[in-house]
Amino acid sequence: MNASQNALDPDDDLFDDEDTQKDKYLTFRIANEDYGIAIANVTEIIGIQSITEIPEMPDYIKGVINLRGKVIPIMDVRKRFKLPEREYDERTCIIVVEIDGTSVGLVVDTVNEVADIPEDQVEPPPKSKHKGGSYIQGIGKIGKEVKILLDINKILYEEELETLSEAVQGA
Amino acid sequence: MHASSENTEIIHEFSIEVRDLLEQLEPSILELEKVCNNELTQESPEINDALNNIFRLFHSVKGSSGFLQLNNITETAHAAENLLDRLRSGTLTIIPGYIDLLCGACDFTHEALDYLDKHLDDEGMGDKAKKLIESFKKILSGEALPEDTGSEKKKQESKAESPAPEPEIRIDLEQEPDNLKNPKIVEFFLQEAHELLQTIEQDLLGWIKAPEDKDLMNRLFGNIHSFKGNCGFMNLADPEKLSHSIETLLEAVINGLDVDRSDVADLMLGHLNAFREVLDDIADGGPGRITGLEDRLAPINEFIPLEVEEPEKSDEPKPKLGEILIEEGIVSPEELKSALETQKSKGAYVKKQDIRVNLEKLDALINIIGELVIAENMLINNPDLVGLELENFSRAAQQMNKLVNELQEMATSIRLIPVAGVFSRMNRLVHDLARKSKKKIDLQILGESTEVDKSVIENVVDPLTHLIRNAVDHGLESPEERVAAGKPETGVIRLSASHEEGDVMILIQDDGRGLNREKIIATAKKRGLIDGDGSMMTDSQVHNLLFRPGFSTAEKITEVSGRGVGMDVVLQNLKNIRGNVQLKSEPGAGTTVMLLIPLTMAIVDGMMIRVGKSLFIVPILSIRESISPSADAVTLTPDGNELVRIRENLYPVVRLHSVYDISPDNYELDKGILVVVEAQGRNVCLFVDEIVGQQQTVIKGLSDFIVKTGNVRGVSGCTILGDGNVCLILDTHALVDMDKTVELHTG
Repeated sequence: MNASQNALDPDDDLFDDEDTQKDKYLTFRIANEDYGIAIANVTEIIGIQSITEIPEMPDYIKGVINLRGKVIPIMDVRKRFKLPEREYDERTCIIVVEIDGTSVGLVVDTVNEVADIPEDQVEPPPKSKHKGGSYIQGIGKIGKEVKILLDINKILYEEELETLSEAVQGA
Repeated sequence: MHASSENTEIIHEFSIEVRDLLEQLEPSILELEKVCNNELTQESPEINDALNNIFRLFHSVKGSSGFLQLNNITETAHAAENLLDRLRSGTLTIIPGYIDLLCGACDFTHEALDYLDKHLDDEGMGDKAKKLIESFKKILSGEALPEDTGSEKKKQESKAESPAPEPEIRIDLEQEPDNLKNPKIVEFFLQEAHELLQTIEQDLLGWIKAPEDKDLMNRLFGNIHSFKGNCGFMNLADPEKLSHSIETLLEAVINGLDVDRSDVADLMLGHLNAFREVLDDIADGGPGRITGLEDRLAPINEFIPLEVEEPEKSDEPKPKLGEILIEEGIVSPEELKSALETQKSKGAYVKKQDIRVNLEKLDALINIIGELVIAENMLINNPDLVGLELENFSRAAQQMNKLVNELQEMATSIRLIPVAGVFSRMNRLVHDLARKSKKKIDLQILGESTEVDKSVIENVVDPLTHLIRNAVDHGLESPEERVAAGKPETGVIRLSASHEEGDVMILIQDDGRGLNREKIIATAKKRGLIDGDGSMMTDSQVHNLLFRPGFSTAEKITEVSGRGVGMDVVLQNLKNIRGNVQLKSEPGAGTTVMLLIPLTMAIVDGMMIRVGKSLFIVPILSIRESISPSADAVTLTPDGNELVRIRENLYPVVRLHSVYDISPDNYELDKGILVVVEAQGRNVCLFVDEIVGQQQTVIKGLSDFIVKTGNVRGVSGCTILGDGNVCLILDTHALVDMDKTVELHTG
């Protein structure tokens, strides 16, 4: 048993991987604002494709797509932020993120780049009265530019609480 | 005869198991080399672990080979153990020579196993074993250490820096079962043991009916013997003792001991339960003891007259099984000879024909093949090819299509297993139920070789159990009642399975009193399930009331049948596997329950329909018919429900475009198509724009995320179409349920 572990040595690689992903964010743009999400959560970026609607879902869940045989749900981040809708064009992208084995595609206006934002360049989120404040993990600075770093877990699952509480109130 | 092939089986399994052990052994032995290379000291915990590990593995080899009386292997392993004992206690220092010797023991065992596979014993390995054991002995005696534990202990004490002394492990039967610590072996043992118990149970039940069946008796004996052997291998003393005494009793019976068969069988059936509890205990990591073992042994021993000697384990060479069989007149020498010949020509070289595969791997394979089907569709129907004359391409595509279809069929069939396993469990159930309820029941099983997907069949066990219980408790009358009604005293329950156009139909029929319409209606009224007196309801509507949660017409709650939770559980279970239940009953003549289940859960035969721009799949299983209604067939009820008359029936209409919020081609019912779907005995018409066509659909679950985020109704899953788009599969049960109000009006 010991021998096989030595032969594979899977741990070394993993640590290396995490190190190189640290402080790296994929930045994208929605309605003239730049956002970033931790690169570790991102699996791939694809162009917009035909989305099959699912009935009785919140409006920001556009439906599902076929990603090489895997059916994954698509969330429109604009709608998620309650911003006005915008026609999808050739610059519209789907960022596929994976959290705890669940893949979800996020529709954004454009994808910019992978940026290195060291920890000391990240400011804590402002205590905003704005309802969306909870999605913000911090504010990253690159020179004069500012990127809003998003907490993917909250983006995906916060609404679950909302719908749940709404449902409870409704009953 | 049968016992011999059983023996071959055990030897093959032993060989496979020991090879596994050897695979683990070698890396551990090589670990010891680190001491020689001065990387680690003998006292370091790593080496200590390695030594313990090696000791345990050799001990396992010794234990299992000892059980099969493979003396050469046993003795070699024993010699290795002795050496390891010294190394562990620190009375010997690890040197390369020892490591070589241990490796030599591994190599020898490998060789012995090869020999064993061919000859079914290890006698030819005697010389080599002797040599190896001599070398072990030389090393041990070179240290001139007496095999005396006392002095060894002194040595340990003198070596103050040696690791905490291991508790002395002596080889005796009371020892902690080592194999129980090896999850692989435990898993293998459990699976095997469950299978054996299953067979034993069937044979016991068969024996009650056919006492003179010698083959059956011998098989029974052989299987119990195997079970005992397996328990012995696992060092499970309690089950081993119990199975041993069962074996002894059976032997006495085979030799003509006159006993009350059904008493003996009942006793043994009870013990089988004890065995199963032991297995469950082991699965949970318990020690596998039987509580009240003595109480269980006593009644068995009462059956056995004193002169029947218990075959004791002895040091004498075991007489060959064949010799025993001849001696006891079970087989003639000629029979034995031919059996041995087949064993030689077949048994020795034919390795096991099946392999156990991790279900996850299999599912992954089937998934990939599903993807392949989709990819092939996308390739062949590629829009870039439209309008091109491609003769060679078409030919190649056709060939590809054929192969992919074959591949898919093959993949599906891998997961299919016969329903016999589940059906035969019902034998036992009926036997027990008949005793408790004092009814005479003949269970007839038909079509048990019908194959269904493993996960489907697992979901059918509970419903079947419920239905059989129902049939015994509510369906069949007491013998007196039956005689009074002019029926034979013994009631018949028939359990049958057959293929029905890509699905599997399971029927549970009894010839009992049938469903009591009035009683059902009365109960339904009491529970507020129906308005009015129910006289307008059709029989099938009445029967379907039974599927409502909490419905029960049993006047008293009996031990046999539950508290009226049966039928809705049945329905729920079947819904889970996209199946369907139907009830038919004739007063006085009996009840038939029909379960329609899909062959597999990975693929569904679907009809593609279109509403506006959206495509949906409706499982063919639930489609009854489709019609284009004329305008005058449609009735609008005052509260806005639409009903369509088809022949003599009025069916409610479900407008898919409003359920799914789509703009359709047509809003008028007479311009579109109505697809009549049935679920839980209720029919509704789905209003659609077009029926696109039938197709085999690979089912994919909707993402967990969707299930958590939204409140998806009326969709059971999705599939990927040839053009790569995702298409939703409609859940007809949910669609029928959306229409609760209407049912009251039709009823």
